[in-house]
Amino acid sequence: MKNNLFRQLVATPAGAGAFLLLAALYFAAALAPFLAPYSVSEQDLTRTYHPPCRLLWKDGRVHVQLYWNKDRTASAYEPVAGQTAPVAFFVPTQKNEKILGFIPCAWRFFSVEHPARIYLLGSDSTGRDVFSRLLYGAQISLSIGLIGICITFFLGICVGGLAGYFGGIFDHAAMRLTEWLMAIPGLYLLLSLRSALSSKFSDSGQIYIMIVLILSLLGWAGTARVIRGLTLSLRNRTFVQASEALGQTPWRILWLHLLPNLFSYLVVSATLSIPGYILGEAALSFLGIGIQEPSSSWGLMLSQAQEMKVFMLNFWWLLTPGAAIVTTVILFNILGDRLRDIVDPKFRMTP
Amino acid sequence: MQPTKSVECDGANGLRMFYSPSCAFVFATAILLAACFSSCARKESVKRKHLPPPVEADISGLPPGQHGGVFIQTSPGEPNTFNPLVSEDATSGSAIGLMLEGLTRYDPVREKVVPGLAKSWEIAPDMRTHTFRLREGVCWSDGHPLTADDVVFSFAAIYDQRFPNRGASDQTVDGHPHKIEKVDALTIRITAADTYAPFLQTIGWAPILPKHALQKNFDDGTLMKAWNIGEAIRNPDSIVASGPFLLHSFRPGERIVFKPNPHYWRADSAGKRLPYVDFVIMRFVKDFSASTVAFASGQCDAESITPDNVAWVKKSAALHDFTIHERGPSPNSSFIWFNQNPGKNKDGKPFVPAHKLKWFQNKKFRQAVSYGIDRRGIIDGVLFGRGTPLWGPETPANAKWFNPSIRQYNYSPKEAMKLLNEAGFKLDSNARLVDAENNPVSFALNTNQENPIRQNMATVFRENMKTLGIEVQLQFLDFGTFVSKIQDSFDYEAGLLGFTGGGDPAGGKAIYLSSGRLHQWNPCQPKPATEWEARIDALMNKQVKTLDENERKRLWGEVQEIMAEEQPFIYLITPNAYAGLKNKWKNIEVPRIGSIIWNLDEMFLAP
Repeated sequence: MKNNLFRQLVATPAGAGAFLLLAALYFAAALAPFLAPYSVSEQDLTRTYHPPCRLLWKDGRVHVQLYWNKDRTASAYEPVAGQTAPVAFFVPTQKNEKILGFIPCAWRFFSVEHPARIYLLGSDSTGRDVFSRLLYGAQISLSIGLIGICITFFLGICVGGLAGYFGGIFDHAAMRLTEWLMAIPGLYLLLSLRSALSSKFSDSGQIYIMIVLILSLLGWAGTARVIRGLTLSLRNRTFVQASEALGQTPWRILWLHLLPNLFSYLVVSATLSIPGYILGEAALSFLGIGIQEPSSSWGLMLSQAQEMKVFMLNFWWLLTPGAAIVTTVILFNILGDRLRDIVDPKFRMTP
Repeated sequence: MQPTKSVECDGANGLRMFYSPSCAFVFATAILLAACFSSCARKESVKRKHLPPPVEADISGLPPGQHGGVFIQTSPGEPNTFNPLVSEDATSGSAIGLMLEGLTRYDPVREKVVPGLAKSWEIAPDMRTHTFRLREGVCWSDGHPLTADDVVFSFAAIYDQRFPNRGASDQTVDGHPHKIEKVDALTIRITAADTYAPFLQTIGWAPILPKHALQKNFDDGTLMKAWNIGEAIRNPDSIVASGPFLLHSFRPGERIVFKPNPHYWRADSAGKRLPYVDFVIMRFVKDFSASTVAFASGQCDAESITPDNVAWVKKSAALHDFTIHERGPSPNSSFIWFNQNPGKNKDGKPFVPAHKLKWFQNKKFRQAVSYGIDRRGIIDGVLFGRGTPLWGPETPANAKWFNPSIRQYNYSPKEAMKLLNEAGFKLDSNARLVDAENNPVSFALNTNQENPIRQNMATVFRENMKTLGIEVQLQFLDFGTFVSKIQDSFDYEAGLLGFTGGGDPAGGKAIYLSSGRLHQWNPCQPKPATEWEARIDALMNKQVKTLDENERKRLWGEVQEIMAEEQPFIYLITPNAYAGLKNKWKNIEVPRIGSIIWNLDEMFLAP
């Protein structure tokens, strides 16, 4: 069934495109230490608010245009005619960073010789490379959705599945709990949880885990309710009654008989709710209570671009994290829509 | 202009004092026009009630101008009160400052105390008894004479236990209030508990209140409730003023309009009573960037501009006919410090681990860190080159008290390494800095998250320290949490904050005295922990007790030298300050420190 679903998904251009683009994004995020020319916090105070560098072809290889700071007081840069630096590929590096935290990375994909710098997407207020920070930021912004969805669905399946299967007092208690959670305005609960916990967590890794936990602990209630409803309707089907009569344990029934029947719903709903986590992290970081400097995330980068000067002096490259968030969210929605069409043909839009 | 729009304007009934009803419509429209599109020139001049200036009026030294004009400011905050005893915030303070005056004033351009409501004063040979003489013929805005009784009443209100206010601690010397005596109707004798160098300046901070208007509230204990914003909305005329302006109308969420005080006690050399402008409008905006945008689009007349915004605001200077005045370094300092508090918390755990405390208490370690900070880089990169490196507690803005010959720590990782080696630190095989006991040097730097420039300084500091092999973890907290760490729980290693400085060094007692609450590296010490802190205590106490300005400069200069040598605060940078003002205003005098429109009463519209 899984294979079938995947084959149907990539059979249409929209589904295949969204899937491939998302795969490429996650791949790039995972390979950030290799793909990014600089580390996440490497500054260059002589090149702040540097515009994206032009690339050109010269002497049979890629060169990067060099710029000089025409007006320091306005960070106005101008290309120096004829001055370029060659871009080298597969450059060995001493930086001892690891891909996915365990594969040592001894090379950078591309780089230019010091003191020139390559800024594919310009630089920020302390001369850090926006492209590199986007890649490192993607690690956080993109993974938060996947981890969040795992926690949410685990909780949702446990609570919703058991409530639907056993019913009675357990069902009653679980559903009142979910109603209570859903009645609290989400954003405020999020903000108050964050500020209550903020003094306990200070390291950026801990903050990351805390944000995932907060987001998923607020998000499981809706999933649990739907799963409970689905389980309730499946519970009275003959194949479940048959397994009960055969003396199978509730866990086994849940796992072997109910879950496979819920699978299609879960896949669609997961795909459609990942953007919520990405946006949630971006919102928290944008408000200054998410990921902290010197780590990077798309929301944090965007919050640093909300100053008047960014608009007035046209530092447009600082808004690229916004474009990244929008693209990712749209791709997930397209993918989710396609999956739903496949799983539930009744909802398919007819032209 | 649509005639119906005049309905929206607040002017119509408030203007009745001075205008006939038919005129009111024209000027109500004019105010609205001016508030919305200030570039739109207004031709009519407002008819004002002109009374002859008092006998002993203060004559302005600036060229005389003519009456007229509307001055528009924007403010990101709104006043919470018009009662100077209640006021705690800057917006309320600046609104009250337009309406109430003290005995003395401070001229920020010439950096000296000048006569205010008091025309002159004498200091007795005991150096603590001051006899102030009020101006003859000065009246409150309602025409009631201003006399010594008002001064006695004001100080009685400030010192009254029923009315807790921050003026009470300003107006004390060593914790003792001044003795206030009325000599005759226009003469007051004020005796301080001891010689106090900035006495004349601080006495000017006490606003003189109208006894005839507030006596009833004083008697029944409701003085703190008087002149609240409700009162200002319903009955603006009840707020009696001695300053250049009075409240005309106050609309929360929209604007305050001030009108000239017909009884103001200053005049120009041509005998015209100040102020010149017909209205001052303080328009409320959402935040500082909205305020900057309002100025850049020509909607208001004056604005302070932060260094990073100067470049784009300047672009519309010709279009909206304004000039951005460069004021030089601002009086605001920023610094990093290490927690040197040797104390323990309730559970007997030290605030700072013993081995780290040893680094932090080592002068060479602090000096090395100071050498390792690229201040020029922060200025060029983050502040667009518009800033000044800082080496000691006084910024160059405070030219009178600034000591330029203190030790400087120009960026030099080599010098830093040399000092670290002398102090027993060395680099290990992983290029990490370790101390003599092989503990890797690493600490957490706390700062508040609201300030983007401070965040940038923290990330630059982290990179700079990496070059020295020191690992810095950054922790961004909200301001309240951070302050409670610094002042109550002391459980932090290093911090980055700033002070708003400027003014008399006596104001820094809480910071530099070892017993001070803001002596952040080790606050509230029962007795000075080190020799140099004891020396600073002695110098600070001596300098407030002497009136000889040169001697005070010498003493304060030595404090700056010690602070620069010992580096308990590792000073970073100060941004330069910029002030934008429309060119149509004359008599503009931009001071290095403080409000850019401090002499609003003397400013007039170019003919």
